[in-house]
Amino acid sequence: MKVILLRFGELFLKGDNRYLFESMLIKNIKNKLKDETFKFEKTFGRYVISNYDESREKVIIGKLKQVFGLYSLSCALELPSTVESITSEINKLSIGKKSFKVFVKRADKKFPVSSMDFAKHLGGVILDNNPNAEVDLYNPQVEVHIDIRLNGKSYLFYDTIKCQGGLPLGCAGKGLLLLSGGIDSPVAGYLVGKRGLEIEALHFHSYPYTSEMARDKVITLAKELVPFVGKIKLHMISFTKVQEMIHLHCSAEYMITIMRRIMMRIAEQICNKYELGAIVTGESLGQVASQTMQSMTVTGGVVEIKPIFRPCITMDKEEIMKISKDIGTYETSILPYEDCCTVFLPKNPVIKPTIDRCEREESKLDIDALIKECMFSEEIIEIE
Amino acid sequence: MIYLDNAATTPMLADAVGVYQKYACQSFYNPSAGYREAQDIAKQIKEAKERLLVKLGATCGDIIYTSGATESNNLAIMGSRRNGKWEYVFSVGEHPSVYNVAKELEMQGFKVHFVGLSSTGEINYEMLASVVNEKTRLVSVMHISNETGAVNDIQRIVGVIKDKARNALIHVDGVQAFCKVPICLNAFDVDFYTISAHKFHGPKGVGALYVKNQKLLKNIVFGGGQENGLRSGTENVAGIMAMDYVANQIDILSNYNKVQALKACMVKILSENKNVNIFESKSPYILSVGFKGVNGETLMRALQDQGVIVGMGSACSAKKSGNRILESIGFSKEDVKQRIRISFNSFLSEQEVAQAGKTILKVYNEIWEKVK
Repeated sequence: MKVILLRFGELFLKGDNRYLFESMLIKNIKNKLKDETFKFEKTFGRYVISNYDESREKVIIGKLKQVFGLYSLSCALELPSTVESITSEINKLSIGKKSFKVFVKRADKKFPVSSMDFAKHLGGVILDNNPNAEVDLYNPQVEVHIDIRLNGKSYLFYDTIKCQGGLPLGCAGKGLLLLSGGIDSPVAGYLVGKRGLEIEALHFHSYPYTSEMARDKVITLAKELVPFVGKIKLHMISFTKVQEMIHLHCSAEYMITIMRRIMMRIAEQICNKYELGAIVTGESLGQVASQTMQSMTVTGGVVEIKPIFRPCITMDKEEIMKISKDIGTYETSILPYEDCCTVFLPKNPVIKPTIDRCEREESKLDIDALIKECMFSEEIIEIE
Repeated sequence: MIYLDNAATTPMLADAVGVYQKYACQSFYNPSAGYREAQDIAKQIKEAKERLLVKLGATCGDIIYTSGATESNNLAIMGSRRNGKWEYVFSVGEHPSVYNVAKELEMQGFKVHFVGLSSTGEINYEMLASVVNEKTRLVSVMHISNETGAVNDIQRIVGVIKDKARNALIHVDGVQAFCKVPICLNAFDVDFYTISAHKFHGPKGVGALYVKNQKLLKNIVFGGGQENGLRSGTENVAGIMAMDYVANQIDILSNYNKVQALKACMVKILSENKNVNIFESKSPYILSVGFKGVNGETLMRALQDQGVIVGMGSACSAKKSGNRILESIGFSKEDVKQRIRISFNSFLSEQEVAQAGKTILKVYNEIWEKVK
C-alpha cells in the first residue's frame, strides 16, 4: 500500500508537554488536508498518511510541505515486517546502471535479521537483478531505505523531501505583524509562523497619498502568507492625518521616527484590544535610517509591555529576498506602489534619534487624539 | 462624475451599442462562410472599408481590421521586417505598443535608432534627418502624443525621410488623431496608419491598419487567410460595424472647435494658480499639467473622491521606470511625478469642464497646504 511518511523535527526535544505540541501538529496536518480523503495514523516517531487519492499525491505533498513542525516526508510503500515481503518488493527494483546503497533502520528489534545483515542481503538481491548496477556507500545515485517500525509494518522509500521544520503553528500564541507591503515584513510573518506564532496583520495606509493598488497589494501579500500561517485578520488603519500633522508640525528629519513611534503605539493598542501577545516587524539592523539600534530604541521605547519580535534583524537583504522568493511573496512585494513609509520621505532622516528630542517633537502634536482617530478608522479584512 | 481621461478610452456612443448588438445577435454570420447571409456581411465589411478610406483621405491602399492599435502597430512594424542590414527609426515619444516593438527589433539584432523630442513635444526633425539613410527600412512616428497632445508635422516628417531614403516605409500611429483632427493620407503619403475604435467612442477590441501597398507587408499571424492573408482570424464583425458607424457620425471640425473651447476654459481656470504648469500643445483633446509640490497620483486619487477623473498617461509607472517621453522633452523626474493628464471629449459641456477645473484647483490647494 502506498503511504506518505511524515517526520517531525524539534518536537523530539520536548519533554512532558510534547503531547501538547504533537496534538497541535496533528490538528494542523488534518486541517491542511481537510479537502482530501485520507487515513491518518500515528506510529512511534512517525505519522503515516494512507488511503489517499494517488492522483492527488503531488497536491497533498505540496500542502504538507507548508505545515510548520514537519521536518521531512517520503512517499513509501507499506509492507508487512517480514523478510519475505520486503525481499519480494526489492526483487522488483530495476535501477539499470546506477549506483545504490541500502539503508535499513530497525526500530523493531524483534525483526529476525540485524540491520547490517538485512542491508547486505537486500543489496545482493538488487545486484542479482541488476547486473550493471554497483554499490556506492558514499555517494549513491539511488538510496533504498527500509524503515522497520514497531507497529509490525515496514516502509520502503527512495527519496526524502524536506519540509518547513520549526514548531506547530499556534503553539507559541498569536502576534501582530506590521505588514508594510515591502519585501521584509511578509518574511518576518513567515519566520515567526515557523516558530509557532499565529499572526494577525496591521497595515497603515495614507490615501490619497498611497493608492488603492497599494492596499490591494497588502491584501495579496497576506493571502500569499495564508498557506503557511493560516487565516489572517488584516487590520487596516488610515494614517493620513498623522503623517500630515507630523509633516506640518515636526522637524523633517524626525518625520519617520515619530511616525514609527505612533505606529508602535497603535500596534500595542491593537494587541491589547484583540489579545495578541507580541508585535512583529520586518526590521533588519542598519538596513535604513529607521532601523539603526538608536532608531529601534526610540521606536520600541513607546511599547509598554508587549515584546517586539524582529526575526529579520540579523539578515542581509539578499537573505531576506531569498526567503521571500521561496515563499512566493517577492513578486508581489516588488510591485511599484508607494507605501506610507515612502510618502513625505525627508531627504535626511535622522539615524541616531534620541528619546528627548522625540518627546520634544511629539509635544507639538496631540498624540492621543491622533491615535484615537486612527483606531476609529480601523477596518478589518478576514483573509483566508 | 466628470470624466477627463478620454485619451485612455472614451465611452461608447449609445447608438453604436445598437449597431454592435445587431451584428452580434442578428447579423452574426461569419463573413468567410459561403451562404447568402454571410456573404452579405462580407459585402458590408467591404463597404465599411471604403468608407474608412474616405474618412482617412486615402484614394488608394487598403484597410486591415485588427483587434486594436497594439496589433496594428505590431503588424506594421514586424510585418515590414526584411532580412539584411536594414535600419529602423522610432521616436522616443512612442506609445509602448510601438516602443516595445522597437526594443524587440533591437533584441533581434536590427539596428534601431531612437530620435528624441524637442521642447514642444514634437519629434526632433533635425535629429530625424541625421539618422535616416538609404538603409532605413521603416520609420514609425506617432501623429499626436498621448502624453502631451503634441502634434507631429507628418508632411514635414515624410519630406525629411524621402529626402534621405526614397524607399523607406513610414508608419504613423494615429490613435489620438483619427476622428479628432482632419486627416488626409493622400497628402501625408505614408505607408501605414494605425487607428483604434475605443479612442473615438467606438467599442474596445477593434481597430485598423491602413496599408498603402499590401505587397510590402507580411503577415505576422498564420491562419485562415482573412484580410488578404495579413490578419487571419474571424473578423470582429460587430466591432467593425460599430466602429464604422461611429466614425461616420463624428463631425471632426465641429468637435475640434468645441473641444478647443473646452481646453481653453480649463487652461484659463488652472492658470489662475501660479503653481500650475501648463504644457502648451496643439491638440485640443489633451492637456498635460504639472502641480508644484504635489504628486500627480495623489492628486488623481483625491480628485476621484471629488467626482473628477483625470489620467496619468504612462506617468503612473514613473516611480520606477521614469517617463521617457516627458523626460525627453526636458522635464525633471520630480516634474514628471507632479503631472497629470487631462483629456477631453466633445460631449463634455463647458460648464462641466469649468466645474472640474475649479475642483482640481481646490483639491490641489488643499493638498498643497498640507505638504508644502
